Amino acid sequence: MNLLAAKKTYSPGSGLPNALSKGSTLRNGLWTNDNLWAKVIQLFHLFKNFGPNVALRDIDLRVLKGEFVFVTGPSGAGKTTLLRLIFGAERPTSGQILINAINLNRISRSSLDLLRRKVGFVFQDFKLLPKKTVFENVALALEVTGERGSFIRKKTHQSLRLVNLAEKEQAYPLSLSGGEQQRVAIARAIVKDPLILLADEPTGNLDPDLTRDIITLFRNIHMKGTTIVVATHSRERFEDSGQRTIVLKRGKIVVEK
Amino acid sequence: MRLRLWSYFLRQALMNIMNNRLVHVIGLGTMFVAILIFGTFLFLLINLNTWVQGWGHSLSMSVYLEDGISEGKRDMIASWIKSLPTAEIDRFITKEGALKELRRVLGAQAGLLEGLSTNPLPASLEVVFEKGEGLRLDPDRIKKELEKMEGVEEVQYSEDWLKRFKGLMSLIRVGGLIIGGLLCMGILFIVTNTIKLTIYSRKEEIEILKLVGATDWFVKTPFLLEGAIQGILSGILALLILYSGYYLLSTEKIHFTSLGVFDFIFLPYEYALLIFLASVALGLVGSLIAVGRFFDI
Ligand SMILES: Nc1ncnc2c1ncn2[C@@H]1O[C@H](COP(=O)(O)OP(=O)(O)OP(=O)(O)O)[C@@H](O)[C@H]1O
Ligand SMILES: [Mg+2]
Repeated sequence: MNLLAAKKTYSPGSGLPNALSKGSTLRNGLWTNDNLWAKVIQLFHLFKNFGPNVALRDIDLRVLKGEFVFVTGPSGAGKTTLLRLIFGAERPTSGQILINAINLNRISRSSLDLLRRKVGFVFQDFKLLPKKTVFENVALALEVTGERGSFIRKKTHQSLRLVNLAEKEQAYPLSLSGGEQQRVAIARAIVKDPLILLADEPTGNLDPDLTRDIITLFRNIHMKGTTIVVATHSRERFEDSGQRTIVLKRGKIVVEK
Repeated sequence: MRLRLWSYFLRQALMNIMNNRLVHVIGLGTMFVAILIFGTFLFLLINLNTWVQGWGHSLSMSVYLEDGISEGKRDMIASWIKSLPTAEIDRFITKEGALKELRRVLGAQAGLLEGLSTNPLPASLEVVFEKGEGLRLDPDRIKKELEKMEGVEEVQYSEDWLKRFKGLMSLIRVGGLIIGGLLCMGILFIVTNTIKLTIYSRKEEIEILKLVGATDWFVKTPFLLEGAIQGILSGILALLILYSGYYLLSTEKIHFTSLGVFDFIFLPYEYALLIFLASVALGLVGSLIAVGRFFDI
């Protein structure tokens, strides 16, 4: 763990990706850049095929540190696939993915594990463990980092309060409504204070009131400097103007605004 | 922090075992039986070895002399024997002495000897070889040499069959190695499959753990512990049962009609430790194989 805590300044020629700009520092095992305009997510000519099925074609995208980006498009457009690729849960058929200047094509398994501790993911199907309580499900994201027990408990309580589930801590996921399960998934994604938050249909199961709450929550997280990418069918629900939106259709970016 | 992690791993491992009780009981039972078989084998081998060695140490030879042998010839034979390294004449038994001895052995039946008009027993020289060293001499050759001498009627020694026995022992040892090897493979197979089953039952959780940034090591350790626990339990259980068996044997003392009373010794503690460590190692290696295969994604 000491190794990861070590802070060291990047010097050119140390074999790191070219894209790494000056001033990057190694923090928690990640090269990070405090420069406001640092590119946190960079996708170059990204293709993803599932057999004959082309899920993504020639995606080029840069997301800056602290941006809030929507990815929309009809069902089957490739939104989930795009997020999974950014998360390193899927390998691209061709093209490059750079997260915080780390090339996912070349990353080792153990570095990917560390990277994931800094990237929160709200899965479309939640991926909660039915045999663990809500509290344990959320705490799991910190347990794997080997943090202190008191810290884990504090952060978990905090995170569950943020999504308004404080009183359901000891419940089991299957006894919760779809919207509640969704919020547990969000709590788990944000409990580790991620640099990047990827959310796949985070409001898909919520009524308008809760949707508004969740959007407010995401805005607050965004305010703290977290880069957020949200995939959703229904961007209108977020009823926001001026937000960067990427529209996917059959695996291609058709509109970017 | 480390302690916290390890207690987490241990809890996970115990939970896995509890959640897959039946599989573990079957796995543990089979592993226990395999270790017990091997332990029993080792126990018997070590005891046989001790007995054989004991007999080897007390190698003795009876040189029967012809009746009416002259004192000069007898001394010649005696000095030839004394010239052998490590050999010593324990005692000289006269014809009368031999008869007395026979009377003593027969005890109540000694009356049978009353009818004898002459003493049929020969005089003899009882030769012993120094502890341990005796085996370096070839008793068979000494026997032949002695029998060629004038005045020697016959030579008997306790080792005629010991040689054959030693051949058998090395055969048993080779057999033990083969059995041990097979049992090890069997145990590995059992542990690997037991752990694989628990891994499959927790597939979903493993996937989620990986998605929230758990290292492979973090995911694997509980399964390795699970294998080690299985090894520890079956090792201890097998040794306990083995010891109980030994205890019964040594208090009852097995009587073999022709061979007398055998004293059993338990496995020396290094061997017991070795069996224990081997079963833990097998548990670990088995689970390593299981997680290795599983995590090759
Ligand atoms: N694991 C997979 N194997 C095969 N095909 C897949 C796989 N994952 C996605 N696809 C295909 O890739 C395409 C894009 O799927 P994706 O799940 O990314 O769409 P989506 O935009 O998230 O849709 P939705 O809004 O319904 O969630 C679809 O045609 C889908 O069938
Ligand atoms: Mg989707």
